[in-house]
Amino acid sequence: MKTRIEKGRWKMGFVGATMRLWQGLREWSGDAAYETYVRCAMKRRAAHVLSREEFYVEQLQRKYSRVSRCC
Amino acid sequence: MKRLLGILVWVAVAALGAVALATIAWHRGEPINATWFVLAAACSYLVAYRLYSAFISAKLLALDNTRATPAERRDDGRDFVPTNKWVLFGHHFAAIAGPGPLVGPTLAAQFGYLPGTLWLIAGAAFAGCVQDFVILFCSIRRDGKTLGEMAKDEVSKRGGFIAQLAVLAIMIILLGVVALVIVNALKSSPWATFTLAMTIPIALLLGVYLRYLRPGRVIEASVIGVALVMFVVVAGQWVADSPAWASKFTLGGVTLAFLLIAYGFAASALPVWLLLAPRDYLSAFIKAGAIFSLAAGILLVRPQVLMPPLTRFVDGNGPVFAGKIFPFCFITIACGAISGFHSLISSGTTPKMIQREGHARFIGYGAMLLESFVGVMAMVAACAMTPGVYFAINSPATIVGATPEAAAATISSWGYPLTAETMTGLAHAVGEQTLLNRAGGAPSLAVGMAQIFSNTIGGERLLSIWYHFAIMFEALFILTVLDAGTRVGRFMVQELLGRVWKPIGRMNWYPAIVLSSGLIVAMWGYFLYQGVVDPLGGINSLWPLFGISNQLLAAVALVVATSILLKMGKLKWIWVTLVPMAWLVVITMTASYQKIFSANPRIGFLSYANALGAQIAAGEIPAAKIGEMQRVMFNQRLDAVVTAVLAVMFLVLLVEAVVDWHAILARGKAAVLHETPYVATQWAEGD
Repeated sequence: MKTRIEKGRWKMGFVGATMRLWQGLREWSGDAAYETYVRCAMKRRAAHVLSREEFYVEQLQRKYSRVSRCC
Repeated sequence: MKRLLGILVWVAVAALGAVALATIAWHRGEPINATWFVLAAACSYLVAYRLYSAFISAKLLALDNTRATPAERRDDGRDFVPTNKWVLFGHHFAAIAGPGPLVGPTLAAQFGYLPGTLWLIAGAAFAGCVQDFVILFCSIRRDGKTLGEMAKDEVSKRGGFIAQLAVLAIMIILLGVVALVIVNALKSSPWATFTLAMTIPIALLLGVYLRYLRPGRVIEASVIGVALVMFVVVAGQWVADSPAWASKFTLGGVTLAFLLIAYGFAASALPVWLLLAPRDYLSAFIKAGAIFSLAAGILLVRPQVLMPPLTRFVDGNGPVFAGKIFPFCFITIACGAISGFHSLISSGTTPKMIQREGHARFIGYGAMLLESFVGVMAMVAACAMTPGVYFAINSPATIVGATPEAAAATISSWGYPLTAETMTGLAHAVGEQTLLNRAGGAPSLAVGMAQIFSNTIGGERLLSIWYHFAIMFEALFILTVLDAGTRVGRFMVQELLGRVWKPIGRMNWYPAIVLSSGLIVAMWGYFLYQGVVDPLGGINSLWPLFGISNQLLAAVALVVATSILLKMGKLKWIWVTLVPMAWLVVITMTASYQKIFSANPRIGFLSYANALGAQIAAGEIPAAKIGEMQRVMFNQRLDAVVTAVLAVMFLVLLVEAVVDWHAILARGKAAVLHETPYVATQWAEGD
């Protein structure tokens, strides 16, 4: 019985760690940028929220107008 | 008990690091195993992080986790985004890690493995990490201001303008040099040229996918892109094996240079979503994968380092580039130990995303340690090949000869045995027509990486695939620096010209975009062209010029950091930034002086120009070549002027800063800090 509970905990821990890793990868790569923006806009009750397409282009314009890659 | 155990563990790590360092320093005669390099670097970094960065955090900067960061106060979901510290570490590392820590140590290996390795480790711990960390902290306390803005506020208005000009100048030189590295890697190589050329349609395809089909789905687009890139790496072999196709992709240096210039112009003038951004996504994934694979490969294979600790070229007559260890080893290593360019990232995106001040230590100091580790791995990869092969790949034809036989005879006479068959056999094994005279560091690093990878997976059979994978990886992320840099350079040119005529400053006015893109590519394209036609191989002149400008920018960053720390009343600990700054002043000024005035034509720009002039006057140059030689003379004089202008610009800033420090310390001038006022964080400790 105890072993089964321990196994369950281990499984949940593994699933949790994988999910966190996946989320980290999405944030690192920019895949989750739009969700972050929408969350922030909702929190601030912004009058206008950009669509995914608009946000993607606008974000790239900003990112590549300053030094973003090094030597 | 727990504390005692902790102390014992750290003493053991320090002792292991000391033993490893002593082993690589005093080892003579037989080859040494690369494991010692990994141990020496890893233990030194751990100790530096545990002790020195903790000391800087507590005593010098007094990081305050109760203080709200710009990301918390100004959270807008766009620029100011509170980000998990591990994710931000990855962001910051991906931004700072470029070709520099790979190419610099590979070139510096001509002195032997020892000087470069020691500087990579010590330079990072005491200078590079300190610069990145302190500038990140300063920018966090100023709402994410840039280095130029901080120089204007904390040193002088002129200082800010000088920093802005210095960044533009360095950008131009940097782009010219990294483009030259690509040209030398692709020259006469149909396989590599085809592979890299194909990454352009792949990037365009991903651009359309990310813009119209699945907006912003970066991971799925990158998976498709990486799979396609792997396919074209393999397909490159079919192209190289087909006489009809191979001839189309076998290009000379000048043609490749003009193609790169055209590419840079297109990447700057086209919409950013079409070419630049998708290439950057591709490059980020491949860069991370290749760096981790190289680390894993070195740990698994544990290659023998065949290069001696010190070569005969410590005397300054090296074939790869001329100049003695001091100051040229430090100038050449550049980014792997300290890079001025990092201060632009530390005062750019990162400070706007940091959740807590306390994270600045892990991100600022820690990411630079990792970059330095990449430099050590590049050094191991370069030194794991036979020294004779290393010199044959990296030396220009004017020094070692253009045929395998001539190169083997010259290099063997230096005491590094090499046969012509070794070079032809190796070129054949990696699928190239020749590996001779491929100065720039990229091909020799690719050979080193391919040997490590093929010893892990696939053996000799896959050597050619691994070689071209390594070339593609290096060229791909150099192109990312090239196109992103050209675009940023275009913005800087528009901003500067906009002061003279306002419409040019409008970022969305197409004639201004075309004009400024043309100007920026013409400027770096000129340096690239002069490198391609330089009889000494280009790298000999341009890499030191890049190193000097990069280290001067680091010195600018440390001047700004020292000014801020002084105003914060941290006089007792000011040596933390003052000593590396003074060191950089000494090496950059010595290198600048030697590059301009040295009587040795292989070192001094002016003496090289004068020597060529004397050869023309004496009738030693054939009439058909006189025009070309006169252009080389002009280029050398131009390089001398550029070096002098950069040095003078820095000295003006330094004098202004020193006058200000004197006024604060001796004349009681009020030290006005331009920090944003304290606001308490609203987040709980664990957030």
